[in-house]
Amino acid sequence: MSTVELSPTDLRNREKSRGSLVLGFGLLVAVTFTLLSLFVLLARIFTQAIPAFRERGTDFITDTIGSEPGISGIWPGLFGSFGIGVGVLLLAVPLGLAAAIYLEEYAKPTRFNRFVIVNIRNLAGVPAVIYGVLGLIIFVGWLRPITNGGSVIAAALTLSVLVLPVIIITGMEAIRSVPTGIREAGYGVGATRWEVTRDHVVPYAMPGILTGTVLALSRALGEAAPLIMIGAITGLLPETSLTGKFTAIPMLIYNWSGRPDSAGGAIGWSNSAAAAGLVLLVLVIAFNLTGVLLRQKFEKKRVGT
Amino acid sequence: MNVKRLAPWASAVALLFVAACGGDDGGSSESPNDTSAATETTAGGDSSSAGGSVFVTGSSTVEPISIKVGELAGTAEGGDIAVTVEGPGTGDGFKKFCAGEGDITGASRAIKDEEAQICADNGIEFVELAVAIDGLTVATSPNNPAIECLDKAALYALTGPESEGFASWADANELAAELGSAFATLPDAPLSIYGPGEESGTYDSYVEFAIKKIAEERGTDDFTRADYTASPNDNVIVDGIESSDTSLGWVGYAYFKAEGDRMKGIAIADSDGKCVAPSDETIADGSYPFSRTLYIYVNKAKAAENPAVVAYVDLYLSEAGVEQVSAAGYVALGADKIQASRDAWSARG
Repeated sequence: MSTVELSPTDLRNREKSRGSLVLGFGLLVAVTFTLLSLFVLLARIFTQAIPAFRERGTDFITDTIGSEPGISGIWPGLFGSFGIGVGVLLLAVPLGLAAAIYLEEYAKPTRFNRFVIVNIRNLAGVPAVIYGVLGLIIFVGWLRPITNGGSVIAAALTLSVLVLPVIIITGMEAIRSVPTGIREAGYGVGATRWEVTRDHVVPYAMPGILTGTVLALSRALGEAAPLIMIGAITGLLPETSLTGKFTAIPMLIYNWSGRPDSAGGAIGWSNSAAAAGLVLLVLVIAFNLTGVLLRQKFEKKRVGT
Repeated sequence: MNVKRLAPWASAVALLFVAACGGDDGGSSESPNDTSAATETTAGGDSSSAGGSVFVTGSSTVEPISIKVGELAGTAEGGDIAVTVEGPGTGDGFKKFCAGEGDITGASRAIKDEEAQICADNGIEFVELAVAIDGLTVATSPNNPAIECLDKAALYALTGPESEGFASWADANELAAELGSAFATLPDAPLSIYGPGEESGTYDSYVEFAIKKIAEERGTDDFTRADYTASPNDNVIVDGIESSDTSLGWVGYAYFKAEGDRMKGIAIADSDGKCVAPSDETIADGSYPFSRTLYIYVNKAKAAENPAVVAYVDLYLSEAGVEQVSAAGYVALGADKIQASRDAWSARG
């Protein structure tokens, strides 16, 4: 043991030094500011949304969008956003995970593969509206026979492409953090690469992969810009289907915030927009809760092994 | 073991496949869940021309009227017409409409020759129907007693392409005087300008009303100055106009009417130099210089094959439809003008 022994008094004195006090205070301010802005945001959404729910009750969930806040509901948006969420789960998550497994476990670290990885990282930073243009050209235009133009399917495909880089990157990080010993133990008992990946590496990396999924899904559900490009409806939408015209909650929030609050009704568009925000929040939390619960399940399993 | 592990992935792929197949079905037939609209079925390829449903695109200014009439069409007697309305803008609306997408497009101006040419090239025949009048309101803060009335020359001097960089109202005096404005004694007060961005029909109309003619005479571009606060969100514009005592901005008359206590509408001098303030009356009788007619354009072929389109347009031009114009915040057409639209609609052939 060649380490220097520090007595408890030494440690306490070190904490009292001016530098660490200033730093500690600064960090506290940063945390407080973050929490405070979050609190203000939530408080504002709630106070704005409560009149809308009081006035509209469950009709706000089940009614279609309309001309006045007093008769407007969020059903088409909820349908669209839920469809997008499920679509991203079914499409982007398996695809992203597969890509991450390939890049971490199978691909050799050649110059080309490094180039691919760098580009995936860059793609994660591309503005969402650019993906909207891509979606408009490819999924609304070229793939019209499948998507029938601007539909929930086209939106889910576009947003899947949007969040793919995030899923791939977090998936790669998670797989990379799996201890090499686990792989070697698997090979040691004669398992093939695919068996090691499937039975040991992926389950061990699952908590990290699920974190990435939760982040990606939240982003997909919150995006409005690509949906503007694809042509989400904000006027009137009496029919909801996977292949017909569609809308999503972020689009409604954006559009409703832009409408004038007329003097007549009991609630204004700002109330409806806030209530829509609350519904979106609940939807995102519901999706994410599933992810968190799954993650806990996998984490427990990992400790047990 | 293997099968069990792979099951979730396999089911995900299977579900996707089902979703993709659903896409094909939806394109060629009514989806089974909207039974309410399944009375008349046409063999149209895309959902917008399916029986019982109407798709309206075009101007976001006309959109509120189309929504109101659409709601009426959904609730009226035998109200099984499902009307879908979007408002990407007049120009985008014509682009879609002339590509055969959409049964009806709303417009805050008449169709341009080049747009009509694209329609003709694609074999799209349409009928143009005037449906309402919209007034554009030039506004300032209620706390600005100095400005009551302006003329086009003064507005050109304040907001036209040659006004770039003017930070005070007084900066525009020299140019306004040169243009023969009667209001070339603007106060030396900070000038902060708010308006809709170039993508908006309200922007186009403002340019048309206030700038175009003078810009043509002077050989300048028919744009506004670029250094103003542009927003597609009318509430942001109203907030901006309210936020500064010496603000200047322009919004649709509907927004001005809804938020009238937060702005002061500036009267506009007509060609005789008489100041006319924006109001329901001056807009309806045409004396207010900054007002425009709103149109809908109906695809004749779609109307011929889809009775829902005919029913919707009939409703649009009926007394009940005209009531929706005022409900949406616009000014109804005079009796003779709405009759002219009805005649044009029945004579569509």
